[in-house]
Amino acid sequence: MMAIAANEQPVVIDLCDIGKSYQMADETFYALRELSLQIRQNEYVAIIGPSGSGKSTLLNVLGCLDMPSQGHYQLAGHKVAELDETQLAILRNHQVGFIFQSFNLLPRMTALQNVMQPLVYRLMPWREREAKAKAALAKVGLSDKAGHLPNQLSGGQRQRVAIARALVTEPAILLGDEPTGNLDSKTTSDIMQLFDDLHAQGHTIILVTHEQDIADHCQRVIRLIDGKLAADSRNSPHPDKLRV
Amino acid sequence: MQHFLHALLEGSRAALQSIRAHALRSSLTTLGIIIGVASVITVVAVMNGLSSSIRGQLDDLGSDMVTIRAYTTPEQELLGFRNKLRDEDYLLLKSRVKNIEDITATMPAFSMGLSVGYGRNSTQTQLIGADSSYQNVVRVYPQQGRFLSEQDDNKRRRVAFIGATVAKKLQMPANPIGQYINLSGDWFRVIGMAEKRGSLFGFDQDNYIITPFSTAKALNGPDNLMVEISYRPKADADPKLIEQQIRQLLRHRAKLASEAPDHFEFVSAEKTKQQLDTVFNSITAVAAGVVSISLLVGGIGVMNIMLVSVTERTREIGIVKALGATPQFILLQFLVEALVLSLFGGVLGLMLGYLFAAIIAFSLPSMPGALVPLWAIGLSFGFTSLIGLVFGLAPAVKAARLQPIDALRYE
Ligand SMILES: Nc1ncnc2c1ncn2[C@@H]1O[C@H](COP(=O)(O)OP(=O)(O)OP(=O)(O)O)[C@@H](O)[C@H]1O
Ligand SMILES: [Mg+2]
Repeated sequence: MMAIAANEQPVVIDLCDIGKSYQMADETFYALRELSLQIRQNEYVAIIGPSGSGKSTLLNVLGCLDMPSQGHYQLAGHKVAELDETQLAILRNHQVGFIFQSFNLLPRMTALQNVMQPLVYRLMPWREREAKAKAALAKVGLSDKAGHLPNQLSGGQRQRVAIARALVTEPAILLGDEPTGNLDSKTTSDIMQLFDDLHAQGHTIILVTHEQDIADHCQRVIRLIDGKLAADSRNSPHPDKLRV
Repeated sequence: MQHFLHALLEGSRAALQSIRAHALRSSLTTLGIIIGVASVITVVAVMNGLSSSIRGQLDDLGSDMVTIRAYTTPEQELLGFRNKLRDEDYLLLKSRVKNIEDITATMPAFSMGLSVGYGRNSTQTQLIGADSSYQNVVRVYPQQGRFLSEQDDNKRRRVAFIGATVAKKLQMPANPIGQYINLSGDWFRVIGMAEKRGSLFGFDQDNYIITPFSTAKALNGPDNLMVEISYRPKADADPKLIEQQIRQLLRHRAKLASEAPDHFEFVSAEKTKQQLDTVFNSITAVAAGVVSISLLVGGIGVMNIMLVSVTERTREIGIVKALGATPQFILLQFLVEALVLSLFGGVLGLMLGYLFAAIIAFSLPSMPGALVPLWAIGLSFGFTSLIGLVFGLAPAVKAARLQPIDALRYE
């Protein structure tokens, strides 16, 4: 199965005593508290927990979309707290591939243009951008839909475009916040197959979900309750039997 | 630098996309700019056309001739005074002023609406009394016959030198020399007809009759003796010095006190041109005022629509921030969008301005066609770009400052 044992891979994500608080009218609300956690390269992680337990908050912190109120976070060796807005943007561009529940494609751009978009923020010539975007679209099996606008695609196809867009920059981590939340069960299993393949190709994948089926695809399951780490367990490596 | 170009390209693309997606909204937004630029172009084109046409006509007239004319100040007029230049003034200047090529006196006798008859035809014209030197100063040349001679003046002959229009209106024969015309009861023999001069500011320059100075004087009677004196300075002389000399002589002869205003004025094509420039400049200044107000309104329109656009696209901004767009990139992109939007207004305004100018030129026959100088186009675009950048800044900063997480959560 795995040629290299998980603990020999380099650490990509290093969270130390992370807290995220919101100042409400009369009290401080903690969405995350005292969270310490390491994720290594090529891990396949599910974050689960009840609604409001802080799963999305954690994922946003991991993706540098949101800043923790306490603690230290190091992503691929970069101390996130020390970076300014511009450096954060560059870090997101190079290290993070974000996949949203609601796809979040740019509505007036074709599938290909959407996939090319992250490369716009690099100093990359147009030809190269197009070639890479085409390759990423091929990887998710959507080469024939390159010229379609998002509203001309099905939900599953849109999410594939979003995955291609997350892949095209060859990021250190792929983050998915309930990536199959808006999809039916057939499409869900297709998308999960895609994540499994990407994991097999060496990608580091972290998915937020509240479906056990999906958590079962992953090697490692992190459970949050009230913003705290409640459990961190490893699945036995038999994802095949769970496929529908 | 490459980043900058990328942002520029992306910004223009996004801008064109949103202009195309909201064609009506964009046009309405930039209405202020459209009107502003269109009015600049129209005003400048019309002013330019008029001014070059008038200048051309003034040049034809001969720019170095100077006319001295009686001038009554408004205060004097209120008191019932009326200043005059007389025959004696002319004789004085003729004998004393140096450095002039030639000098002549004319008597604008019955200058308004004198009736002239020939056979059964009659027409209105202008009668001028002049001596033989008139020909050299004003430069009218006979096409047929001859100009008035000194003899004609000395002998107070009843002869007339006529403009082409008079001959035409009276339906005189092609060669009118020797024909008799009737000027308020007196018969005059035609001795010459002038070359055609065309029209100036829409006024016919060929509708006049010139008779000897002495004859006109006798016709007018001693009470109406009033002359205009015209001269040409020598080519190498300083016209200012000549004017100074004339001023001294005339004031001295009229025994004016040193603080009294001149009772005469100098009129020349050069002076007319300067006055014309003043008029055109003040019209342009007023137009510039109107234009800057509408450009301001246009700028605020652009700012408004950009703020709306930033709000509308908050989620999109969140998405591209998640994909790694830097604040600088987003700032630049929205600035470029504002720029493109206002330049779009500028181009529409330019086309509209050309159209208006062409329509005006078409409907005014004396205008030689609208002419838009390059500087006006450059200035319009420069100003429009500035407006776009200045008013695009606030929305662009707003977009750049959005926190990715807040932008993504925006409903
Ligand atoms: N901007 C905010 N201001 C105040 N409280 C917030 C804010 N964002 C999130 N929270 C709170 O933080 C807690 C965690 O939210 P989060 O979105 O991470 O939950 P979740 O685990 O993703 O839930 P779900 O499964 O329903 O998506 C919630 O109680 C939410 O109300
Ligand atoms: Mg959530």
